[in-house]
Amino acid sequence: MMAEFNHKVLVVGSGAGGAMAAYTLAKLGHKVLMLEAGRNYDPKKETPMFRRNSEAPLMGAGNKDKNFGFYDATIDGGWQVPDEPYTHAENTDFYWWRARMLGGRTNHWGRYSLRFSEHDFKGKSRDGHGADWPFEYQDIAPWYDKTEEIVGVCGTNTGLDDMPPSAPGILQPPPKPRVPELLVAAAAKKLGIPAVPMHRAVLTRSKGDRSACFYATPCGHGCSIGAAFQTTTSLIPMAKATGNLEVITDAMVKSVTTDEEGKVTGITYVDKKSAQEHALNADVVILAASACESARILLNSKHTKHPNGLANSSGHVGRNLMDSTGAWLGAQIPALKGRPRYNEDGHTANHLFIPWWGHKAQEKGELAFPRGYHFEISSGFREPGSGVSGDKQGYGPELKQQVRDAYGSYVGFALRGEMLPNPDSYMEIDESVKDKWGIPVAKFHFKWSDRELKQIEHGLITAKQILETMGAKVGELPPAEKAISKGGEIIHEVGTTRMGSSPKDSVTNQWGQTWDCNNLFVMDAGVFASNPHKNCTLTIMTLAMRNSTWLAEQIDKGVL
Amino acid sequence: MNTPDNLNPYRYVSGMTRRESLKWLGLLAAGSALTVTAGCSKVVEETITPNAGHWPDVDIKPVTAKGYGTDPNMVIPPESPWPLTLTEAQLTLVAVLADWIVPKEESHPSASEVQVPSVIDEWVSAPYHGQQKDRVTILHALAWIDDESQLRFQQQFVALATAQQQAIIDDIAYFDKHTPEQFQRIGKAFLRFKDLVLGAYFCTPEGCKDIGYLGNVPIAGDYPGPTAEAKAHLDGVLAELGLSQYAYRD
Repeated sequence: MMAEFNHKVLVVGSGAGGAMAAYTLAKLGHKVLMLEAGRNYDPKKETPMFRRNSEAPLMGAGNKDKNFGFYDATIDGGWQVPDEPYTHAENTDFYWWRARMLGGRTNHWGRYSLRFSEHDFKGKSRDGHGADWPFEYQDIAPWYDKTEEIVGVCGTNTGLDDMPPSAPGILQPPPKPRVPELLVAAAAKKLGIPAVPMHRAVLTRSKGDRSACFYATPCGHGCSIGAAFQTTTSLIPMAKATGNLEVITDAMVKSVTTDEEGKVTGITYVDKKSAQEHALNADVVILAASACESARILLNSKHTKHPNGLANSSGHVGRNLMDSTGAWLGAQIPALKGRPRYNEDGHTANHLFIPWWGHKAQEKGELAFPRGYHFEISSGFREPGSGVSGDKQGYGPELKQQVRDAYGSYVGFALRGEMLPNPDSYMEIDESVKDKWGIPVAKFHFKWSDRELKQIEHGLITAKQILETMGAKVGELPPAEKAISKGGEIIHEVGTTRMGSSPKDSVTNQWGQTWDCNNLFVMDAGVFASNPHKNCTLTIMTLAMRNSTWLAEQIDKGVL
Repeated sequence: MNTPDNLNPYRYVSGMTRRESLKWLGLLAAGSALTVTAGCSKVVEETITPNAGHWPDVDIKPVTAKGYGTDPNMVIPPESPWPLTLTEAQLTLVAVLADWIVPKEESHPSASEVQVPSVIDEWVSAPYHGQQKDRVTILHALAWIDDESQLRFQQQFVALATAQQQAIIDDIAYFDKHTPEQFQRIGKAFLRFKDLVLGAYFCTPEGCKDIGYLGNVPIAGDYPGPTAEAKAHLDGVLAELGLSQYAYRD
């Protein structure tokens, strides 16, 4: 069958990057064979729509099998994947989230879709830290438009400097804000901080086969109606419909193969069902297996021409590992106790959020840290689960009333901030440990720097001010070292195959094409030169669309 | 209200509920036959020190069952993902205690009417770390409550008169830093038990109605946002906090 199909390009991974690359190439008439390490997955049949926590084991609570709860869409994944360990250096914490399923992590992601801005692409030029990207915001802006158009993003053009505008007609209308978000917005405004509609990859107007959101059932469970974007209800079926995409699931890629000159010839993979190893040839290979998995594949692809691993002449494969910073501060808002009930599900995540408002202050040197953050707001009348809030004193009607009064009265701020690359944060191969498939595993090193800790400190103080402006009592703040998330915990790991303008300090050029092998591309977040605070998925897809379009041109020209 | 004579409120209607466990049904079939057996828990009383109170020495068998794995059927969740471990006596005690925590109110069912004891049994029988920790806490709490009942009133808790049960509950249900030393440990354990009972109750459709969760229903067209009543309340809150002039505008 494969011989008949005669693919031109192999894509490793079916998540944000892989699916967008496959769709773009397939649409442009190129035959693509996609490999996915997990099983096939059909959200139309497998999504637990409208299921209640009371119907799930343990009231839906998370555990080692389902870290984010029973109904989380993630299959065969989480902080640990069965039979696929990873290690870390002593005194280092790093958590590596993976999903082994068609569509990867797009099946459960938060769907927050904020564009990086001009500040983000030229951070080093502005403040001397980290690395610049090898292009300007203006170069990628039209690709953001095209990506948002296909994905379907709701939100507004706010005019804020941290949120570059989409072209007219691209964004779909955002849902109305909820009461606690409106209270946060007023309190923040008093402090000179904006709160605006979140941009989210959720349809509020139907698009093709995909229905508009009906404002029920959490997006993290997956979305059988296609309103919440995931590649399994959009890009993958759309690419298949062209006749130019075939997919092999349960295919764990082991290495990229090269000929004697060191030119890429294909890949080897283990079929998880039979545990048999196979080789596949292709003219072009695109790695989009996630930042750390793609770097792992490259480092495991040693060859006499590539003794330190493929595409690693710079020594930067696995380096520059970054996550987003994370911290949380919340409190009960007394004025919200016992407030009038109404349906606050909405699109089940932030309708309003607080974007970074400090670019100007940073330009003036008024802040003690170089890069920004945003706040996501946790609040609302959520579906009750295994834990309820309240003082919980006593028993009977008196106790129940405390729980009713407390319901929906809490507001929390989840900080998501930019981390800068540092020499202590990287991944390599642990030659002493192999996974079930015989593939040497990733070993992580991770450390926050003072730049991140100062940012967290600022964020906690700001969150406390907003909470107090809403009338909350907030106790003493924890020190930043305690409050900051562990590396990997925010699941925004990027940078391990970064792009740049020189083969000396980067792994790929601006097209995701590796400097060392012209027919090998990386199209996941590994190519990020920096990790802006805005969640990586929209930019992964945008880059994958832009760069696979360029790749298609190279094929058409006969260069590849 | 929770004397042995009126345990029949716990009678189930077959097919009415979601997570009926055979063990729990078996218990109900037994009706008011409340012979309390030691079951699999070996309860040994500690020497009671004058200030610190007593704490049972419970022989807790570790749960060795497998979890539901990383790829369970989410659309039709497993009814009974692992063997349940509470004895009939323990389940009865859980039911009586759960109904002290969440009694029947005018328009709301009691905890046992919505199968909270089954959920507690599933929880403490689960093979996961968090639940195993709770298992130790809850089984000790249950044993302590029976020990305390024996010490005070020479009977198991479920056999006590309402006022006697209430006397014990009153001593352990207000855990904070002022709780007398002999009730500190049980107070903390009972708080965890209350947490689970409240969670198990409020996440049921009946509990959601009670707490006022109005979501999980599809909406045609745009999300309507806050009701007029909710908006009026917010306006009051903004005024009270001096934030009216900063109110959000689209």
